[in-house]
Amino acid sequence: MDNKFEPLADSIRGGDIDAGIAVVRELVAGGTSPLEMFSGCIEPTLNVLGEQFATLDIFLPELMIAGDVVNAIQDEVAPLLKQGDSASITKGKAVVATVYGDLHDIGKNMVSLMMQVNGFEMFDLGVDASPKDLVAKAEAEDADLLCLSGLMMPSMPFMRETIEMARANAKIGNKIKIMVGGGPVTAEWAMENDADGYADDAMGAVKKAYELLGIESMSAAS
Amino acid sequence: MKNTTKIFDLFERSLTGPIMTEKDFDMKCVSVGIAKAVKKYDITFDDKHIINQDDALADRVWEAAVEFLAECGVYHQDTSRIIKFSRQEIEDALRDAPSEVRLGNGTDTVVERWRSVDDERPPLNAGSPVGTPIANKYFVPVMQSYIKEPMVDVTTGATLETVGGMEIRTRSALEILAAWEEVQLIKHAAQMAGRPGMPYIGVQMSVSDVGHISAAGRGDYPSGYTHTLGIISELKSNNEIFNKLAHSIMQGGIIDPYANPIYGGLGGGKEGQAVLLTAEMIALSVFFMSACNGSSPTHPVFFNDTTKDLLMYQSLSYQAIARNSHILTNLTLTPVGGPGTKKLLYECVAFGTMCSKSGLTRVLGPRSATGVISGHMTGLEARFHGEVMHAATKIDRVAADKIVKKALSMYEDKMGEHEFGKPFWELYDVEKVTPNKEWLDMYQEVKEEVAGWGLPL
Ligand code: B12
Repeated sequence: MDNKFEPLADSIRGGDIDAGIAVVRELVAGGTSPLEMFSGCIEPTLNVLGEQFATLDIFLPELMIAGDVVNAIQDEVAPLLKQGDSASITKGKAVVATVYGDLHDIGKNMVSLMMQVNGFEMFDLGVDASPKDLVAKAEAEDADLLCLSGLMMPSMPFMRETIEMARANAKIGNKIKIMVGGGPVTAEWAMENDADGYADDAMGAVKKAYELLGIESMSAAS
Repeated sequence: MKNTTKIFDLFERSLTGPIMTEKDFDMKCVSVGIAKAVKKYDITFDDKHIINQDDALADRVWEAAVEFLAECGVYHQDTSRIIKFSRQEIEDALRDAPSEVRLGNGTDTVVERWRSVDDERPPLNAGSPVGTPIANKYFVPVMQSYIKEPMVDVTTGATLETVGGMEIRTRSALEILAAWEEVQLIKHAAQMAGRPGMPYIGVQMSVSDVGHISAAGRGDYPSGYTHTLGIISELKSNNEIFNKLAHSIMQGGIIDPYANPIYGGLGGGKEGQAVLLTAEMIALSVFFMSACNGSSPTHPVFFNDTTKDLLMYQSLSYQAIARNSHILTNLTLTPVGGPGTKKLLYECVAFGTMCSKSGLTRVLGPRSATGVISGHMTGLEARFHGEVMHAATKIDRVAADKIVKKALSMYEDKMGEHEFGKPFWELYDVEKVTPNKEWLDMYQEVKEEVAGWGLPL
């Protein structure tokens, strides 16, 4: 990484929003484009943090704080982005939730966070999300991906219904990619129930998302 | 002794406490609060032992946990408010909390009592597959396989896969019917095993409040069965949990909740987890009016609780509780290994020995093969786990620590290998409900091997 980006990387690693914004302002004043900041610093820094989390060298709070810094930076530079730039700094839009009746959120949060730090714009509907709400959100955001988490068998029928409802939706049905995961879900279940992908951990979810959207480079998962 | 927190008071606090977003509660109250407590009370592991040998450290964990909980409180997701109890209120409630409870009925009654860290009595063995899915036709023989084991004192169920031939749907009539089916089948299995009063921790199928309120009802739910409640990690409640709680209190039920902090989550690494786990057990007693207080901490990559770090902080946390209070505590053993593998048995040795030497009053499981592989469960592993817990009371903490390290060395580097073993019907004669030669021979071989390490099995 270019030396000039070290302070920015530090602010992300240290979870310091104020410092992050200050550095970004300086960089902008010095002529660095937001796009350069993302590809030259923010993305690689987040990738490393993601890897460290996958091996438990850092823990969830550190990754969450880093994600918050990056969100704040995105808000700061948003007015400066040219048409098309924002598309190249996000890999895609994803709606994520734990399905109806199921309150287990830890794995879902990990998937959501890991996808966020790997470049996806995440719309997290939390837990206990009904098929209707999930599909409505995916439609409203014109999402590329729908990520469903389910840990309990008595909630699995609702995962299947969400998939059916999404496929039947006139606006998103044909193009949205659907990924599923959680204890009772398997790759076979995914296939039998018309999902596009399955992964058994958060890093796998990111890889699968890249694969489904045809995104090639992924330093974190390589 | 009784629980002195009252449901009306609790409810009122959930309607009047400070308002906060859930994310702020997670980050500002839990995550920051734990980090602060770890620093202030200098919670560090020397990494030389797995079973905690440092009593002063355990006492600091307790102090840190009480202080943290009084500051943090418990979040109510539906009212977006924090339920708070002052330090004084927490201490008063703990002083009044039950130190023993009778479980089960008739000749199968057992008493769960507070245990000291080096207690000569073993923890109660709640031998069971704890919610692992099972095809309905095997439910009764599987449960019989646990209940018939003399080493098993208490049990809890597998999860039924269907009801009336249909997939179960939570919050629907099908959940209610499944919850009833579970209770009826358990009674039947207990009768068939000749232990009709066997204490039961139920209802596993009470995914939402409707199943719980219907099936754990006065008409047909024995008084010696406990009422289980899953409390949302970390330190959260909601209307469904309060509905279950109010119902169980009005039934005069034995309140038996659990909370499962996740390693690497908001509590961070093992130092923070030791404080958080302790605080969550105190919260169950004080905020959720429990008789018994349980947990099943989970590794976020291997989905078990038998890794080195998890064994270390569970030992420290439960010692902290046993040394500083008289509340009843339980853990669920969730190994990676499945039935018919030596890995499962070594994981039982590590976990059972740790529990026996850390003041636990009851241990559930083994929830074999991480508890998610249909049918991978047998009573024989619960027999073995019970024998381990009994044997560990006969050696001291230093010797026990060596046993745990030795057992861990047998599976530690294979944690990521999914040795889920075989299903019940391949390891048992399903008619007679007896283990087959293959599984018995392996059990016998490992038992002799571990006895050779110095655990008097
Ligand atoms: C923690 C926990 C709880 C906590 C949840 C706290 C929380 N905030 O989430 C509490 C205590 C509240 C709880 C409650 C209950 N639980 Co629970 N719980 C667990 C436990 C022990 C660990 C789950 C966990 O967080 N694992 C760690 C995370 C990191 O893993 P993960 O969620 O699997 O996610 C990873 C992958 O699966 C994947 N992934 C996950 N989602 C997605 C999505 C996509 C798109 C992709 C690609 C990948 C992916 O990536 C993640 C990261 O690596 C499991 C046991 C187990 N072995 O899983 C039982 C378990 C899930 N619970 C179970 C049960 C029965 C219940 C209760 C019904 C118990 C009761 N009778 O009250 C209640 C239900 C409440 C409800 N309505 O949901 C059963 C389910 C049985 C079944 N198959 O139906 C299990 C399997 C335990 C068991 N054997 O009994 N539980």
